[in-house]
Amino acid sequence: MAANFKLNGKVFAIPPDLKDVTLVEYLRDHLGQTGTKFGCGIGSCGACTVHIDGQAERSCQTVLADIAGAQITTIEGLSFGGKLHPVQEAWITEQVPQCGYCQPGQIMTAAALQNENPNPNDQDIRDAMNGNLCRCGTYQKIRNAVRLAAGGQIK
Amino acid sequence: MTSLDLTRRRFLINTGWTAVGITALSACSSIMPVLPTQNEPELGDGYAWVQLLPGGQARFFAPRMEMGQGASIGLTQVVAEEMNLAASSVACIAPATSQVPAFKMTAGSEGIDEFFGPVSHAAANLREHLRRLAALKFNINSAGIADETGGFRVKGGKFVSYGELAPVDGKIISVSENEGEDQPRRYALERRGRHKSIGSTEPDPNLAHMVTGKAQFSRDASLPGMAFGGSLMPPVSGAELKNADAAAAGSMPGVIKVVIEPSHNLAGIVAKTPHQMRAALGAIKPEWHLPENITDNPGDRIRDFWSQIPRDFEHDLISDGDVDDLSETSITGSGQFETSFQSHAAMEPRAGLAWVRDEKVEVWCGTQAPFFIQRRIAQILGRDEDDVILHPMRMGGGFGGRVLCQPAETAALLSRAAKRPVKVQWTREDEFRGNYFQPPYFHKIDAAVFEDGSISRWRHDFASAPIFFGIDAIPKIARPILDRLADEGTARGATPPYRAANKLVRYSDIRLPVSTGAWRGLGAAPNSFAIESIMDQLARNAGIDPIQFRIKNLETQHIRLAQVMRKAGDMAGWGRRMPTGSGLGMAAAVYKEKTYVAVVAEVTINHSGKTIEVPRVWCAQDCGLIVNPGFVEQQIIGNVVWGVGLALTEEVLFSGGAAETDNFDGYEIVRQENAPYVKTALIEPEGAPPVGAGEPAIAPTPAAIANAIFAASAKRVRKLPVRYDALFGNT
Repeated sequence: MAANFKLNGKVFAIPPDLKDVTLVEYLRDHLGQTGTKFGCGIGSCGACTVHIDGQAERSCQTVLADIAGAQITTIEGLSFGGKLHPVQEAWITEQVPQCGYCQPGQIMTAAALQNENPNPNDQDIRDAMNGNLCRCGTYQKIRNAVRLAAGGQIK
Repeated sequence: MTSLDLTRRRFLINTGWTAVGITALSACSSIMPVLPTQNEPELGDGYAWVQLLPGGQARFFAPRMEMGQGASIGLTQVVAEEMNLAASSVACIAPATSQVPAFKMTAGSEGIDEFFGPVSHAAANLREHLRRLAALKFNINSAGIADETGGFRVKGGKFVSYGELAPVDGKIISVSENEGEDQPRRYALERRGRHKSIGSTEPDPNLAHMVTGKAQFSRDASLPGMAFGGSLMPPVSGAELKNADAAAAGSMPGVIKVVIEPSHNLAGIVAKTPHQMRAALGAIKPEWHLPENITDNPGDRIRDFWSQIPRDFEHDLISDGDVDDLSETSITGSGQFETSFQSHAAMEPRAGLAWVRDEKVEVWCGTQAPFFIQRRIAQILGRDEDDVILHPMRMGGGFGGRVLCQPAETAALLSRAAKRPVKVQWTREDEFRGNYFQPPYFHKIDAAVFEDGSISRWRHDFASAPIFFGIDAIPKIARPILDRLADEGTARGATPPYRAANKLVRYSDIRLPVSTGAWRGLGAAPNSFAIESIMDQLARNAGIDPIQFRIKNLETQHIRLAQVMRKAGDMAGWGRRMPTGSGLGMAAAVYKEKTYVAVVAEVTINHSGKTIEVPRVWCAQDCGLIVNPGFVEQQIIGNVVWGVGLALTEEVLFSGGAAETDNFDGYEIVRQENAPYVKTALIEPEGAPPVGAGEPAIAPTPAAIANAIFAASAKRVRKLPVRYDALFGNT
């Protein structure tokens, strides 16, 4: 029996010949879901972050065999019912992105943090977001947006 | 320096060479290659960029490629200001090369500086053209037609929208250079203090797409029937493919085409999926002709030059007075300084999609120089330039590193062979190994101060590699000529903004076996590191406050630098007592003789964690009129964060002549945990024109950090990046 996974609520079968393909490559180059970004391929930059069963994970370090039975949420599936996730709203209010390439990964990490810790302090934010690199240097705005999404004050 | 005759000058203008600042040249101009740099735009160039569509909407073909710097957004605000529109009512389009005449590559923080004029001129002329159409329509004098948002108010108070003035035949309205007035009223210039769009933080129109994953970068481009391509990266820079055995690769699953073209240094695969492509690529057995005398570190040529005493420098940047006159000076400051190889490390590893057909060639890629890439691809394929259309994509970071888009060129060759659209996506390792580097710098400064605190002697020698002329896209045949020119990219920021009774600044730009090129700020940060470290040292040796010492010695034409230094100092609480192990350091710079920027950095030496930390940075910048304060602030913060990386962590190491540091596990850019809190201030002097903001703040940041380290520890930083162990030992 072919193994399945759920992507943003829809069921997909794992093609037996693609079990060793990384999730980021499958999403982008097979399914055309390009919101998840490839950054480094070694789990060092966080650009490819998705949620696997609610946890922020590196899709470049995950192969399809690993996700049998799992629920995957990507940036395309983060908003629900036509309404943006509060983290996405905060990203817009704060005008976080510069080039924007790392931001889907940043947002997925921030959304997972919000689930785990609805009221993060500055150190919590820095710790949780430390695996997501941004070469444009939007870190300060990211911290502000995470605080804003949690109903906190902007520094 | 010799002046140029007119014929030579015209030739240089046509090829874009004047724009890189060449003032003397050998006679062999006939073999000069086409360079990426185009000429500075002229006032009349803007007519091709601003139009009114049949429905009455303004369309702006942004002549700046977007990579997050916001230049296209700022220029859209300029159009909006002139046309009495909201910025959101101006459709900003990144034009394909077929839609507009060639424009200068996007680099050097010039987007607002050089394009504000032509864009405002064209938009103002379009507005006045529309006013004349309104006059015709109502048969009145155009003097009686007042501005109104989105149109005009004609006599009797009647509103007429731009849409009502659009021709009924559905034609686009634009103004030609012949029709335009030489000096239309330009609201962008006139209405300072009363601007409606200029001066406000307009958001990026792609913001909603960027937070939902819909924004399209090169890697996201696709076409029906598209295949995936890749090619072998040469083992070292300059390696040439002699031949390749691809027998095994050709029969592997999913392989559509094996392409071996030694004349293009290409051993490539086109396959149905990326993993099939990679598998087949790995099965090719290439035979490379390696360059001779490969050394581990490609920077050795600079180091070898530096170790010769006396050093025979190629170029005198400044020679004024007699630096060997040592009389009357007792206060001195001198030292040697070094920086390392760095990489751009933009978050998007570059990609290119190409579809080569008999009738035309289309390419989708993110590049700072779309017309350069168009010409290169035409040349590589042996096609007419007009056959090649480049569709520019948003770049996932540029920073000077995307003047070339190598995978687009590979994709074009593979697409021609496979007769279908092909996308080539570089890996992160390709990105580190296949692009050009910021070269290392070696400096020696020897300076002295009179008793009254004024600088008596400034002698600065430095050596690095060419930056404008160091990329390997420049053909070998042209290199010996270019190597005789003084590379102004290498020398950027090497002219100190301070007076000295006697000054000598000399340098050599030595071509390396690896490609070297533009990186954020070019030479500005490495040069400022040396200059501003010595300024700090001189001030301390003279017993004068470092800010006061700089102000005292400022060149009169750079007086605006005093204000940003005072402002940065005020914000930081300059002069306050710091806890043991912490310190404040200051540095300042004038970027491209236009933008004034000062930085105060706070450093804490964490002896238990063995780290050097930069918790806070204050930056004041004067870049004249501010078009979009939010984007300017973002650029400042981005530069400061980048400067922290340059100062503390970023370094590409080599082995066997190739980059050994080839991913983020070895190349440490600033992360969230070590990103400082940055406080900015913008100073906008009355009447000052808008100038660049994309790079200036990187120039003084590493020096400010180095000076703060001295304030915290009495250790003078000599080499960047500086790590805890290098200063305080490993015990």
